[in-house]
Amino acid sequence: MPCSMSSASVSSLQAPVLRLRAHPLKIALVGNPNVGKSVVFGRLTGRYATVSNYPGTTVTITSGRALIGAEVCDVIDTPGVNALEGMLSEDERITRQLLSSGGAELIVQVADARNLRRALMLTSQLAATALPMILVLNMVDEAYARGITIDSEGLADRLGIPVIEAVATEGQGMADLRSALPLASRVAATRLPHVSHIDWADAIAATFRRCDRVSAGRVREIINRAVREPLTGLPILAFVLYATYLFVGVFGAQTLVGALEGRLFNGLINPVAIAAASYIPVPLIRDFLVGKYGLITMGLTYAMAIVLPVVTTFFLMFGFLEDSGYIPRLAIFSDRVFRSMGLNGKAVLPMVLGLGCDTMATMTTRILGTPKERLIAITLLALGVPCSAQLATIMGILGGISVWALLLLFAVVLSQMVLVGFLAARVLPGDRSDFILELPPIRLPRMRNLVTKTALRVRWYLGEAVPLFLIGTALLFVFDRIGALDLLTRAARPIVTGALGLPSESAGVFVMGFLRRDYGAAGLFKLAHDGSLSGVQSVIALTVMTLFVPCVANLLMIVRERGVRTGLAILAAVTVIAVGTGAMLNVALSTLRITF
Amino acid sequence: MATKPATSLAHLSPGARGRVSRITRDLTGRADRLAALGVTAGAAITVLQTFPGIVFECDQTELAVERAVAHAILIDPE
Repeated sequence: MPCSMSSASVSSLQAPVLRLRAHPLKIALVGNPNVGKSVVFGRLTGRYATVSNYPGTTVTITSGRALIGAEVCDVIDTPGVNALEGMLSEDERITRQLLSSGGAELIVQVADARNLRRALMLTSQLAATALPMILVLNMVDEAYARGITIDSEGLADRLGIPVIEAVATEGQGMADLRSALPLASRVAATRLPHVSHIDWADAIAATFRRCDRVSAGRVREIINRAVREPLTGLPILAFVLYATYLFVGVFGAQTLVGALEGRLFNGLINPVAIAAASYIPVPLIRDFLVGKYGLITMGLTYAMAIVLPVVTTFFLMFGFLEDSGYIPRLAIFSDRVFRSMGLNGKAVLPMVLGLGCDTMATMTTRILGTPKERLIAITLLALGVPCSAQLATIMGILGGISVWALLLLFAVVLSQMVLVGFLAARVLPGDRSDFILELPPIRLPRMRNLVTKTALRVRWYLGEAVPLFLIGTALLFVFDRIGALDLLTRAARPIVTGALGLPSESAGVFVMGFLRRDYGAAGLFKLAHDGSLSGVQSVIALTVMTLFVPCVANLLMIVRERGVRTGLAILAAVTVIAVGTGAMLNVALSTLRITF
Repeated sequence: MATKPATSLAHLSPGARGRVSRITRDLTGRADRLAALGVTAGAAITVLQTFPGIVFECDQTELAVERAVAHAILIDPE
């Protein structure tokens, strides 16, 4: 398939707008959601920006430097926008702000070739910035497969800007894009004041696009239908959850953790470290490294042996689901439930993303329409959605006890979320927005993107979580030495041993839980492994830990997004709910004499 | 072409095709948001599913909307 810039358009353009300049040329990649801006960004800069198959993956402005020809450029990846005028989402405001504040000198509009009409509507609005532009028609292969052909030369002539056909994931068209940069120019065919953006776009799309109705591949259509219709979709959802459990909860949390913790750490690294440390003359340092709260025996073991394997398997599974386009389809089923919680089906995206990392998901709540919705979603994330690392330890502990224990925990946590959402929807002022969601096409995920994305996330985990694990261990060590841990444990005893019915040493675990929830959960994993926790106690402890305060990073993100007062209010509410639920669960389980 | 009178998207059954005749305006900017997704007067649509939510295709874009939104989208059936 031809991937070329139209040569006719080149000759008809005015003098190139690029000149020698004192600072790098700022190029903004702008376009509708889910058209592949981040892929183009990666192709131009060599940097990887998270790429997924659903709208709203990019929530912040990312920039990277690229050498294009002899020119040094700063390429800016922006969140997807559907409009720059009228009622705008937070993402759209961010992008408009960037374009109007001189943050960009050149716009590369990335468009989904299948959807020329919508792209042109945006082109029409971008033309108002009077910045030089290039239009990239991405995914021409998929458009072609659907029987859509675009006369890009004619389009370039009409618009007066270079139009490039591309398949960015394959790198096709990227050389054309690079060489077209000096030819970027203002849109010549601007609409008349009395013509609306949509009519302008309609007229141009009708002239240069030809659609022959071809079905979008039989297999794809069948899969799409099956995951969307409730009769087949709900069993598929159950299967997906079960497969995730098998891959993450059994293979990751049991097989891999067993090998790493049992063989590598307890069998090799820790004995060697302890033996080596015995040469250190100062007992304090020895304990600091390999003692009960030792950096190696506790901090490193938790981070590398208990959490890492599960996080990795989870990210792989999660990335697969993200890229397949499956997750947004869950919004169709969940719309009603979310509506009772003052949200709409769209909220399924931040909620499911929260299973990856609540901190990131807190940012993704920007895709929701109203402040009220964002507040509810952020609270629910902080309250009930376990992040990957935490999920890891939950599955690791309860998977070893019984599936029923796992189901009980999820049932309790989910019902708490629904209850809190239900109340919040009625107490908080404001409205929810309409449920209108674009469903991305179903695709077979690309292995390379999956591996890159997982590797990036694992590296992020290692960079972000491991230092915190070590700092946490050091803090615990200090607390233990100065007697503060003892004091705290004693102070928390009425709650921990009384109301929750847990052994008193688990108080320390909850302190760790504040630093990072997964770190606290890893502490519970250790306790459960040592036989200090019974099955019922594990369920109660993990339920409280799941509902318990968000980790420090998440709390800081909440404060950044919603302010200190909201942050503290969420923190207080969540703590009370967590302990209250744990206490009730304790009473219920002991009254009913349920054991696992 | 529009032999039948306009009806709302919420009343069409799966497989039905038609063109958007207009979108009922309200105070929430619903029409603007739909327009940004390409759902405007004249756009061709195909209904794909009606339960639990309404899913339809509009110009190569698959959209899911709740019933209240579908009620506001008036269609000339084909």
